[in-house]
Amino acid sequence: MVRYQQGDPAAVTALVSTLSPQLHRFFTSQFVSRRFADDLLQETWLKIHEVRHTYRAGEPVLPWIYAIARHTRVDHYRRTRRVEDREQQMERLPETAATAPDSRGVDLEAALRQLPESQRDVVVMLKVADMTLEEVARATSSSVGSVKQKAHRAYEKLQGLL
Amino acid sequence: MTAPPVDPVLLGSIEEKLRADLRPVRPRPAAGVLAAMLVAITAAVALWGARTFGFYGWRKLGAGAAMAIFVPLLTAVAMLAIAAVRAKIPGARRIAHPAVLLAAACGLMVVVFTAAFPDHRTDGFVRQGWPCLRAGLMWAGPAGLAMWVVLRRGFAVDRRAAGVAIGGLAGLAGLTMLELHCPNFRLAHIALWHTAVVPIAAGVGYVLGLKRRSTPTFSARSAAPPS
Repeated sequence: MVRYQQGDPAAVTALVSTLSPQLHRFFTSQFVSRRFADDLLQETWLKIHEVRHTYRAGEPVLPWIYAIARHTRVDHYRRTRRVEDREQQMERLPETAATAPDSRGVDLEAALRQLPESQRDVVVMLKVADMTLEEVARATSSSVGSVKQKAHRAYEKLQGLL
Repeated sequence: MTAPPVDPVLLGSIEEKLRADLRPVRPRPAAGVLAAMLVAITAAVALWGARTFGFYGWRKLGAGAAMAIFVPLLTAVAMLAIAAVRAKIPGARRIAHPAVLLAAACGLMVVVFTAAFPDHRTDGFVRQGWPCLRAGLMWAGPAGLAMWVVLRRGFAVDRRAAGVAIGGLAGLAGLTMLELHCPNFRLAHIALWHTAVVPIAAGVGYVLGLKRRSTPTFSARSAAPPS
């Protein structure tokens, strides 16, 4: 990240190739279409690029990245909603990202769909992105206690659903 | 929860676009430095305002009452300054929502005022109160502007929370100025007209925070015709 701030082109490749898959997974876990997730990924990288000076060496990178990713998703969603409202389009269900055809995966996806967005975010960050409670708290601008509570509630719901 | 890998063409296109605008950037100063700058702005604006209008309140206050008022006020300013800085840094640790901190600060100040000022008279309540509210807000304005300049390079993931924090802190600058200047020690006057500067300034910050910052998107950039 520091090399990226210093303008090193190799750092761009390293960051984009390392972080993009998990960011993309974060977006597809919200059951948006593949194309929508691609757009969000691109926008997130643009935003990261624009505000890269707000990162300070020695601080955890993942919460910084995920906070921007969450912001991009909310912003994109609001913008899309506004455009749709203006155009008065008929609402269509988005084509969800292709998932592996194993039944367990489909069940988990259906169960995740039942969770409120904030709880789903926490589960995906903890279990898919493998972030710590502290990192998730920073990324979601909340306290560790609140993250623990959301995760606990989400696991309880998932347990009942699976 | 398995998803297909990200399209390598997409990754290549992202890398290419980032490299096209790749230049060294200066990282932001440490959060502590920024918070100290905000506290300094609050103190400077409050002192400047009180110097302009006169330190009548400060001269009339006893040492005990001055301690009772300015120690919690300074604590609230420090807490809000940290909250305002963190609101402008993505992924920064948050103790509580700035609105909660602000409500706690206002509550604390009302309790302190109740204990420090036993005069419960209310005659001339509006006539004497309105100029104080106006003066407090008048000085909160430049304080907020200076704070915005200090934090302008930050990026708020929650613009409304950042607006409340900066506005509230500017309001605290106005409140501090009034405590230094105003010699009216009636409880109702101070608890309402002085303290009201803080939520009103925070409300202005919230409204300003609602304004969307227009950032070009990748698609908008790539779709733009070459100049």
